[in-house]
Amino acid sequence: MTNLLQVHDLEKNYGSHKAVDSITFELAEGTSTALIGPNGAGKTTTLSMLAGLVTPTNGSILFRGKPKPDIRASIGYLPQYPKFFPWLTALEFTEMAAVLSGVEKRKALAEAKKTLEFVGLGDAMKKRAGTFSGGMKQRLGLAQAIVHEPELLLLDEPVSALDPVGRRQVMNLLKELQQKTTILYSTHILNDAEEMTDQLLFLRKGVLVENGSLDSIREKYANPRILIDFESVIEAERFTALSPWAVRLEKKQVSIDAGKDEVSTSEVVALLHTESLHIRKVELQTASLEEIFMKVAVEE
Amino acid sequence: MSSLNALLHKELRENIRNFKMYWIPIVFVIFGILEPISNHFLPEIMKSVGNLPEGADLVWPEFRGEDIFVSLMGQYQLIGILVIILAFMGSISGERKTGTATLLYVRPMSFSQYFLSKWIVVNAIVLASMWLGFFAAWYYIQILFNSVAAGEVFAFLGTYSLWLVFAVTVVLAFSACMSTGGAAGLSILVLLVFQVIDGILGTYWTVSPWKLSTYASNVFGASDGQSAYWMSVGLTAILIIVLVFFGMYMAKKNAAKTLV
Repeated sequence: MTNLLQVHDLEKNYGSHKAVDSITFELAEGTSTALIGPNGAGKTTTLSMLAGLVTPTNGSILFRGKPKPDIRASIGYLPQYPKFFPWLTALEFTEMAAVLSGVEKRKALAEAKKTLEFVGLGDAMKKRAGTFSGGMKQRLGLAQAIVHEPELLLLDEPVSALDPVGRRQVMNLLKELQQKTTILYSTHILNDAEEMTDQLLFLRKGVLVENGSLDSIREKYANPRILIDFESVIEAERFTALSPWAVRLEKKQVSIDAGKDEVSTSEVVALLHTESLHIRKVELQTASLEEIFMKVAVEE
Repeated sequence: MSSLNALLHKELRENIRNFKMYWIPIVFVIFGILEPISNHFLPEIMKSVGNLPEGADLVWPEFRGEDIFVSLMGQYQLIGILVIILAFMGSISGERKTGTATLLYVRPMSFSQYFLSKWIVVNAIVLASMWLGFFAAWYYIQILFNSVAAGEVFAFLGTYSLWLVFAVTVVLAFSACMSTGGAAGLSILVLLVFQVIDGILGTYWTVSPWKLSTYASNVFGASDGQSAYWMSVGLTAILIIVLVFFGMYMAKKNAAKTLV
């Protein structure tokens, strides 16, 4: 896979405040990358710099290996709260967006119509954007970002402001787009990141604290535990006394840190069997993405 | 070129759909009609409602048609300029503030074309309104006063048009440069307050854009100081060009201030 975008030591200072502090990452062509972090971590600033809205204080952005300061022709950008001229219809706006992004005038109208159909605004394309609901605006925002078939799609919190139905619809659209183009999107909703991500970028206070595939980050922070629910407190206590591993006892439940001593579930089950202890449940638990998020994004 | 077209199209649609394309000409035309009519009927109105003491005999100055053109210009110098400032002070700063500019700025459009599209459309609206206003006045002047030589009228309107283009450019350049409130304040200072200052202290110099309205009215009378007139025209044209480039530069420089 070739690198579409290489970002090196990108930095943005507002006075003495470092909004983005020398982050370095790469986007491989055709992949989807999630930019994750709590509010104020610098996600929007990073995307704004890539979109050419904000000039970086420092650092370089290479597009297809070339230093191309203005990559606006090759990107589609959806801000967190897209604002539209209320007096333009969805079709007029999308057509204008296409022309301004370099689509030929005579093809622009057809492209705009096709894109609006794709995002599900086929019936509303002659209505003015001022009358649109939040979900419709988000879809129009998506339409203006993809109408010129950009090589890189930058999406700032594409689904955060939507209700569950709208979120599902937009997620499905994004999954379709994922097949065609490279996507970098920011989110603080981890389920979304889990659903369509090849690479995760964790930002905290402007610093890129973690960068890798979902699986590698999961593995690193998995912190696996074996949980055993016993029938009675007495049995739980007996197991605790017998156990060769370090355990934590909590009423009828015992948990074993499986990561440290590389304890396997079968060993535990074998012990339970030989001692004929009555259990309700044995479970191998790994950290949820949310726990990982809390660990990476919040802890120092 | 096609992106300038797209931007011009957008500006036209905006000004049609927010009714500026209609109400600004209407304001100018209303003043254009009222000026000759009220001046013509003023003596009679005063006679019937004026409560003048018995036997008082006011002598009204005899207005010529040319004087009506000049006094209408006096109305536009205050009310017309105010309308221009209020209607267009947010042309660029407003788009930044609401964030509607964001989806334009992330595209490979040039900020020169962006500024130019606004400059062309706003000038077209303002000049068309002003000319319509004067033509309306001209019609009533022909009926109620004397006929005025067409050549003089066009020279007068041409000179005054240059001043209004200057006014529009000032407003748009300030709108590119700062917030809407700041643009309004500075535009009032430059277009209205400087006029007064130039009127008071202006005897010391002859070349200035603020003297264009005076020179325009001189078209009807003795045409002395031809060279000062042409130098003022030249200076104003240069200032307009400088301000246009300044506006383009500031629009680009302030692009990052748009609401994301």
